[in-house]
Amino acid sequence: MEAEMEVGMEGELWEGRAEAVLGLNLCSSVPICYHSQFGPHEDLLLLEVDDNLLPEILQNRVTIRGQPDEDAVLCTLSSTYSMKFVGTSNSVFLIPPGDSSANGEKRSSVAASIITVATGNIELILAAPKLDKLKKLLKETPYNPDEDFDSISTHKKGLFRWQDLVEMIQASEEEIRAALKSLSAVEIDGYWRIVDDKTMNKTLTMILRNSLLHDWLISALDEETVLSTMVADGFSPRIVAHCLETHGTKVRDSKGTLWELGEKQVCLRLALDILASGKMKLKSFLERWEQSVPSGMKADLKMLQGEVLCDKIGVEEWIRVFSVSALPSTPADRFSALFQERLKWEWKDLEPYIRDIHVPGLSSEGLLMKYTRRIQPNAEAEPIFSAR
Amino acid sequence: MQIRVKCNCGEGECREWAIIEVQGVVESQPSIEEHLHDHEIGRLCCISEGNYTFTIGYHELSGTKMHLKRPLLVLRKKKVETVGDSNSSVELHVVGIIRHRILFKTRPKALISKPQIKDKKPVSSDLTPQSPADSYNSDDAMSYLISSRSYNSGCSSRTLPQSAPPLLLLRQTLALQPQNLPVPTA
Repeated sequence: MEAEMEVGMEGELWEGRAEAVLGLNLCSSVPICYHSQFGPHEDLLLLEVDDNLLPEILQNRVTIRGQPDEDAVLCTLSSTYSMKFVGTSNSVFLIPPGDSSANGEKRSSVAASIITVATGNIELILAAPKLDKLKKLLKETPYNPDEDFDSISTHKKGLFRWQDLVEMIQASEEEIRAALKSLSAVEIDGYWRIVDDKTMNKTLTMILRNSLLHDWLISALDEETVLSTMVADGFSPRIVAHCLETHGTKVRDSKGTLWELGEKQVCLRLALDILASGKMKLKSFLERWEQSVPSGMKADLKMLQGEVLCDKIGVEEWIRVFSVSALPSTPADRFSALFQERLKWEWKDLEPYIRDIHVPGLSSEGLLMKYTRRIQPNAEAEPIFSAR
Repeated sequence: MQIRVKCNCGEGECREWAIIEVQGVVESQPSIEEHLHDHEIGRLCCISEGNYTFTIGYHELSGTKMHLKRPLLVLRKKKVETVGDSNSSVELHVVGIIRHRILFKTRPKALISKPQIKDKKPVSSDLTPQSPADSYNSDDAMSYLISSRSYNSGCSSRTLPQSAPPLLLLRQTLALQPQNLPVPTA
């Protein structure tokens, strides 16, 4: 409260009679003076805003985020802007409003005063949120049911509450939430965690096994039944619930909450489980994969786009895990990582690994032009992309 | 680290500041350097709808009022001590909005009426343009021209000749590169 009063009052104290300048009538003049408190006033900043950002700021929905060693970003509830200081060689005289002189005084004799000369202003440019840090932080301490939570929590290492994430990540709240969802992160005991792959694999395979055993419909799993059975098998209910959320869609009906497991999510999880121990011959992989998939679901290699790569080694084709979620999100770093993995990419292989890159103002063609070299021997041939 | 941007004015009630923008730098005589406060810089006059003149010393500038496509918010950095916590944080408070600027970008027109010796009072703010040939001391004209010329070549000497007016407008044409803004610390 006191801080607010101070600002209001000091603003008032800087009476500069801007009104005399803004409302100057035809054939009138006003003297312009240095204010009695004229000075550098380095605590004053000018921020250029456009019309849709203005109400956000005026209604206190905007905050600036960053660590002291990072470039500042301005965040609304849903967008992120980078802040650039643009200097000017002009002299920009700033005249504050306010006039406490008595109404009887002749207006033109009262001067307007300059409080400072601005050296430039801050421009805002819509930017992609910086979410790589989020991935890195959450991967520090992935959740597994056998972890010693007490020792981790006392050291507070690798554990982040929502408030911690908002303080540390240079992105808007909506963008952070979307990123948490795409990372399949889950809030456990107030901390946002990524559940490690082994635990997720084990949990899903157990749900599928139980479905076979107890004749459950995987298109209509009863939440309560699944939870009680899995808990009896020694699984944490929070993790089981998270597994259902990640691999299915909720269907509410009169009997309670039902979950419909998604074909793509289930097949993907099973594929990753099979490939967890390393690369395999494509033929062997496909056999094992088809066998593991529950009845009613069909495994298709297209489901694994952006998660696996196939290489021809000798006469055989091999398949291995190469997940887009393990790659950096910033375009320059992403392409660099991709070209480190493979020198040349065909468009059909490359596309799944760049389809999630969003740079405001840059189309996917623009992205390719900026970061790749395109080789296409003739019109019929497939284009090949390599590093610039 | 978060720096909240706070606004205490309701929407549409943000107090409006004014900007007068000139191309160049206003330099002052050493004798008044220390006493700038409350010193008059010049006189702003509205000559027709949206058109203005600004007289500084014996330069007269012509300019127009322009509506800013994107308004500027005036923010003030405030260090906030949180009660019961040794940490202090920084906040930015909106103290005003700027929707127009009066920009002067013409070459200053010299209004030479009488040579001014006194260095504490500003030149008379007589706005009727005088033709430069009107009675002035040739020495004054030379020193004025010499000093202008040296300023225009880019060096920023801080000593104005005695006969120059207390405040003189110098034109510079520097292009500054935009730079990333580091996180503002208190």
